[in-house]
Amino acid sequence: MEHMGVEPGRLSFSWISSAESTKFVEVVKDVTATVKALGPNNNFKKAAKVA
Amino acid sequence: MLGYIDKIREISKRLLDEGRVDMIIGFRKGTIPMMNEPCFVKNSGELSTLVWDSNCGINLANYLTDRKEKIGIVAKGCDSRNIVTHIIENKIKREKLVIIGIPCKGMIDKRKVAGMFENGIDDITEEDNILRVKSRGVETSLKKSDLLQENCELCIHRNPVIYDELAGPLVEEQKDVDRYADVRRIEAMTAPEKWEYFKDLISPCIRCYACRNACPLCYCPTCFVDESRPQWCGKGQDEIDTRTFHFLRAYHCAGRCTDCGACERACPVGIKVRQFTSKLNKDCLDMFGWEAGLSPDQRPPLDTYKPADPGDFIK
Amino acid sequence: MKVIKIDKNDWAGGIGKIQSSYRLYGPVKGDAFHDFKALEKGELPDLNFFNTRVSPKSVVYPQSEVMFEYSLDEKDAEHHILKDAAKDYSPKAVLGIRPCDAASFLLVKRNFDTPEYKDPYWIRSYEATTFVGYACNNPCSTCFCTTAGSGPFNEEGLDVLLVDEGDCYYAKVITSKGENLLNAAGWKTEADGGAPDKIAALGKEAGSKIGSSVATDQLKDKKTTELYEAPFWEDVSFACINCGTCTYLCPTCWCFDIQDENSGCSGVRMRNWDSCMFPLFTIHGTGHNPRGTKLQRVRQRFMHKLKYYVDKYDNGIQCVGCGRCIRSCPVNIDIRRVCDMMNSYDPKACACPAK
Repeated sequence: MEHMGVEPGRLSFSWISSAESTKFVEVVKDVTATVKALGPNNNFKKAAKVA
Repeated sequence: MLGYIDKIREISKRLLDEGRVDMIIGFRKGTIPMMNEPCFVKNSGELSTLVWDSNCGINLANYLTDRKEKIGIVAKGCDSRNIVTHIIENKIKREKLVIIGIPCKGMIDKRKVAGMFENGIDDITEEDNILRVKSRGVETSLKKSDLLQENCELCIHRNPVIYDELAGPLVEEQKDVDRYADVRRIEAMTAPEKWEYFKDLISPCIRCYACRNACPLCYCPTCFVDESRPQWCGKGQDEIDTRTFHFLRAYHCAGRCTDCGACERACPVGIKVRQFTSKLNKDCLDMFGWEAGLSPDQRPPLDTYKPADPGDFIK
Repeated sequence: MKVIKIDKNDWAGGIGKIQSSYRLYGPVKGDAFHDFKALEKGELPDLNFFNTRVSPKSVVYPQSEVMFEYSLDEKDAEHHILKDAAKDYSPKAVLGIRPCDAASFLLVKRNFDTPEYKDPYWIRSYEATTFVGYACNNPCSTCFCTTAGSGPFNEEGLDVLLVDEGDCYYAKVITSKGENLLNAAGWKTEADGGAPDKIAALGKEAGSKIGSSVATDQLKDKKTTELYEAPFWEDVSFACINCGTCTYLCPTCWCFDIQDENSGCSGVRMRNWDSCMFPLFTIHGTGHNPRGTKLQRVRQRFMHKLKYYVDKYDNGIQCVGCGRCIRSCPVNIDIRRVCDMMNSYDPKACACPAK
């Protein structure tokens, strides 16, 4: 994904067991913080249509 | 490679006459310079239409998908690798095929040659490594090896990987080829530079889907861009939709692409679409030591799990 | 007929002048080939070209065109009402269009401008356009315009025909629309009396250079059902990969598909070029596809261009002989070959077993 220009940090993978609730919470917090820091993803937003 | 023609016809005649195959899939002479047309022959009396030269870049494995006949197919190195992929993916049965292998010395880059002659090309003849190009009455001799398609220049599997017959002696494989210089150049860019690079790359795209349709891997009954419920991708000329198409097309070829170059050859506006797939090919090689279509007995890395698979990206 | 002589030194200046009253389009060279593009202020059309890769039909009929806009926001008083999208139908001019491409607009007009149906977008866009043609002194080897109802110096569909004459262009005035453009550019010097003869001579020479042809004389008399059932379609369609190259590059293919695209609470209804090569072109809501096989789709393309159109309009084939589909088809399907097969088809002579 990064190769094609998607900013690093927008995609993440984790392996979390159904028993690892604390890890789940941590990961979600981390990922949301990283994405929020990056701001809105304008790359994949379609420009307004002009006739 | 011209010497292959007689041999191809001879083998085909035998296969058809003995009833081992119902049809031969090969190429016939094109109607314009640097083009040949994929064709089939069912009657051994019509075999004189079959030809072979350095303009047979279209991947014939594409014409095998889901066919039920017994088929004799002319296959260069990359075609044979796609036949292997087809066998692995159950798109054709090995026992239905008689593969006439072509040890290949590379296909001519028709755009490169056309770009050299401002006045157009009237005719091209080929002899070993020499191309004689006629343009408005002037004849120029060129070295074929300087004018190969980029994927052929970088090819290390010129000989067919499976075959039942051979149209000529095996050729020497190219060694010490730096196949991923282009990928490394893009890898060195920053994310915004990469974004711009691919934006420019696909800017001439007219969404004709020639790249997808020329590819033997793209056989889905309904492609994701053609789905309407849900509609994954807009159908207009919006840049993001076009990018989504190219992006996902490439991903669907991950671990399957043989770098046959059919996509790039087919593009009517000359987009270097291999820039998308090359990165995936390089990653497959680096991470899994995998090159697609080398053996029908190996499962592709993306449909098998091995404990040693790289997992650093999982946090 | 009036012929204006444009000194090449006055070319750029004249174009600069008309740019204030016309939106200009012309051939522009990209990395490897020419295409028609909107010309920026001060940008000149690059006339050093054979023909563009994609046809200029998009100048009048864009590949994607928004027709309506709407709001889905129920707080909006006019929600769910289609409103005409804002359009610019101010005068525009295409500089350097080849005569075959200009002729294609007349052909497409038979579809978009009929007594019963009028396509408002196409017609208004077409009427706003002045076509300044550029005669082909050196046609390509794949051009067969002279047997497809056009020619390298053909004037049909043009308002002005430019002819390259060394250090000047002869501009043959064909319509008053064309004359207005020449006046606006300040190109007013009438050529000497020998010019029409010179143009005719150059035209004759160019015509003789067209080395490629199609025979179309028998198409009208062939029985549609017999052509439809002809055994050669399997051979013709075998190589086809069903991409849209031929139809998208073609100046005479006019089919489109209508799509709604929403983003949040607003959306547009747009039309996009479509291609009879795509299975999606004919698939029904039920999932049934009446043209489900490649053979049927390839046959449709050729039958439409070379038979249905011929019968319906009695005005030749739906092709102007530009050769784009031949040059760019990834698998070398050649309309000239197919046309000749259809034109000479004799069902009685065919020894193939009935299918």
